[in-house]
Amino acid sequence: MSEEILTSNFFQLFGLPVSYDVDLDQIQQQYMLLQKQFHPDKFANASDQAKRLSMQQTSWINEAQTTLKDPVLRASYLLKLNGVDFNFENETTKDVAFLMQQLEMREKLENIKNEPESLEILDDLAKELKVSASVLMEGFVKSFEVNNMDDAREWIRKLQFMQKAKMEITKLTADIEDELMR
Amino acid sequence: MALIQIAEPGESTTAHQHKLAVGIDLGTTNSLVATVRSGDVKTLPDADGRHLLPSVVHYAENEVHVGVTAQQFSVKDPLNTIISVKRFMGRGIDDIAVEDAHYSYKFTNPASNADSVVPRIKTRAGDLSAVEISAQILKTLKQRAVETLGDDLTGAVITVPAYFDDAQRQATKDAARLADINVLRLLNEPTAAAVAYGLDSGNEGVIAVFDLGGGTFDVSILRLHKGVFEVLATGGDSALGGDDFDYEISRWIIAQAKFRDVDSPEIKRYLMQQARSAKEALAEQDIVDIKIDIEHCQWTGTLNRDTLKLLLTPLVKKTLLSCRRALRDAEVEKKDINEVIMVGGSTRTLLVREMVADFFEREPLTSIDPDKVVATGAALQADVLVGNKPDDEMLLLDVIPLSLGIETMGGLVEKIIHRNTAIPVAKAQDFTTYKDGQTAMAVHVLQGDRELVSDSRSLARFELRGFPPQVAGAARIRVTFQVDADGLLIVSACEENSGVEASIDVKPSYGLSDTEIERMLRESMEHAEDDMHSRSLREQQVEAERVLQALDAAMVVDGDQLLSVVEKAEIMQVRQRLIDIKADSDKEIIKQTIKQLEDTCEDYVARRMNSNIKTAMQGHSIEEYATDKKSAAEES
Repeated sequence: MSEEILTSNFFQLFGLPVSYDVDLDQIQQQYMLLQKQFHPDKFANASDQAKRLSMQQTSWINEAQTTLKDPVLRASYLLKLNGVDFNFENETTKDVAFLMQQLEMREKLENIKNEPESLEILDDLAKELKVSASVLMEGFVKSFEVNNMDDAREWIRKLQFMQKAKMEITKLTADIEDELMR
Repeated sequence: MALIQIAEPGESTTAHQHKLAVGIDLGTTNSLVATVRSGDVKTLPDADGRHLLPSVVHYAENEVHVGVTAQQFSVKDPLNTIISVKRFMGRGIDDIAVEDAHYSYKFTNPASNADSVVPRIKTRAGDLSAVEISAQILKTLKQRAVETLGDDLTGAVITVPAYFDDAQRQATKDAARLADINVLRLLNEPTAAAVAYGLDSGNEGVIAVFDLGGGTFDVSILRLHKGVFEVLATGGDSALGGDDFDYEISRWIIAQAKFRDVDSPEIKRYLMQQARSAKEALAEQDIVDIKIDIEHCQWTGTLNRDTLKLLLTPLVKKTLLSCRRALRDAEVEKKDINEVIMVGGSTRTLLVREMVADFFEREPLTSIDPDKVVATGAALQADVLVGNKPDDEMLLLDVIPLSLGIETMGGLVEKIIHRNTAIPVAKAQDFTTYKDGQTAMAVHVLQGDRELVSDSRSLARFELRGFPPQVAGAARIRVTFQVDADGLLIVSACEENSGVEASIDVKPSYGLSDTEIERMLRESMEHAEDDMHSRSLREQQVEAERVLQALDAAMVVDGDQLLSVVEKAEIMQVRQRLIDIKADSDKEIIKQTIKQLEDTCEDYVARRMNSNIKTAMQGHSIEEYATDKKSAAEES
């Protein structure tokens, strides 16, 4: 287990079955074990080649951890393992009703700064978002389990919107809170 | 080298090989060096017993002063006495215009310099970059360590503000290179503080480190668990610290006293000093008398804590905004924090303590020495990194403080690695060509969290060259952005269709180019060469003496038994040659002759070894011998 780290898949690396359901505690524990073994600080006196290898291995371990912990990244990684290369930048859903919903959400967010109770509205929106995201997630898991990769891919396309909206809400909340502190 | 000396079995010649490694806190106001000796970590004092080295460099007519001596020239000779140089590390001329309101140095026009755009401060010793000036401070600390500990330095862990960007980190590493220090790791200051605190208290859980120094502010949220220090998020401001407090106070003095024409460097420096004294006094008392007496400026007045509060509150609020953001990025609530640790000299200011306590809703820990804790943590890590503690479980996992991205169409930044991602980290990005036959391409790398190129810090422009010509859009150039454990960026590129490795020319936006550093190194080597030469000559002479003594001692014991007359004569001939030339001033000839003598003695040494082992085995049982050997191995 040294060179192979770079070729094993993220689930294997963390001793997990290839599945959407993961044990976050197990990820954290395994993460620490791997870091203790491969981190560049353990190779401070080694050859330049060994140092470089350790840097690559640790980068890989870090990427694996990030991917496994994040639901959407994990889902798209599962697709990838099944031969579907999901392209985050260029893929989008064609479900018009869904897109309309997203547009409405966007508009709300754009105007929110002028609302008197903006923080409360953002909190509510974040909660709503969480609920709809978990519905989409369930959809993904069901499609994935029955090996319907086309549907699974569509669920992730939609989840991508949720992810972006969530980031937007976090950022807006942060901006407004910061503004209040000044 | 020790061919002639033979140890008795069971008597280990390799005593515990303790390597000298230090931790260096290269601060804006003060710097420190610390090391671990016989299990204890200690900061090292100078000959007069002072641990803190003021980060001040004075360029006198023929010499360079660093520290307290330099400080005495601060007001008298401000243009040649550089304070707070850390604030200029890895900075471009635009940043400096803002920063320099405090210090008023004279800068050379960077456009006049062909190699890079690094701003240089005009001094009587020439135009100097912040890197060269910092190197003077590092050299002083290195010398202190070598003199105190009487050994050569294997390496050092140098601390940097967690919020330092790539250019500032690179500048720090360059300064270490100029000071001839082997950098084991650049360690983030709050992480270093957490190590010192964590190992001392043995506490586990989530902690926040609030580190406000002379010129920089950091906040880090860490999880401590079984010797692992995992940074969850970090935030800060690499241009906010005690100097800014002093500046606010000095402006208040100017307004109160209705001073005019206060732009001379002498007056500015003087007012900053008076402001600092007043600030420090207010940490102990409610009110302080201020007396200004320089050139045309005379004034006496008082400053009290309430006024100080009004002056400093906006600055302290800025630090709390960073705390909020760090908590959010770490996905940690205030109530999850087990301890808030105060680090850095500026946390002595009462208002800072009050506002931080208020924000985190708990009393912060101020019992550890805020000046020494960072160097202490760095020394602990240095000790582990050089291998003095092979079984140590300690591990530090850090993050990148600011997002990394590249310039895309329309002056926008596309983020490639987000802030607070665990490092090391690598991300690949594919590019293509837009013209037929295109074989080169430029990538502009930026750091920061803003959307626009104009709001971000430019790190470097990479020219990728040498990929095979193809029709527009066919080439797939994969650029890999690798951030190492020091938080430094390494870029590599490869054309995927052909597998051709693209060559990369890096033009750092604010750093020194490699050629410049090499030139500086050469220059400093030339200065040091005479010293070096006489030193290594002495070393060879001592070595010759040692070899001769060892040989003579061996000859007395068994020379006649183990050597034939011819062999002995041969050895004695080379021995005489070494005696003849050892007073010579050529170290190379001495070195060669030592080698020659050792070669001639090779058989003799082998025979001695055999006969020695035989003698030893006769006196001991085999088991005993095996145990001895084992314990010798354990010791080494």
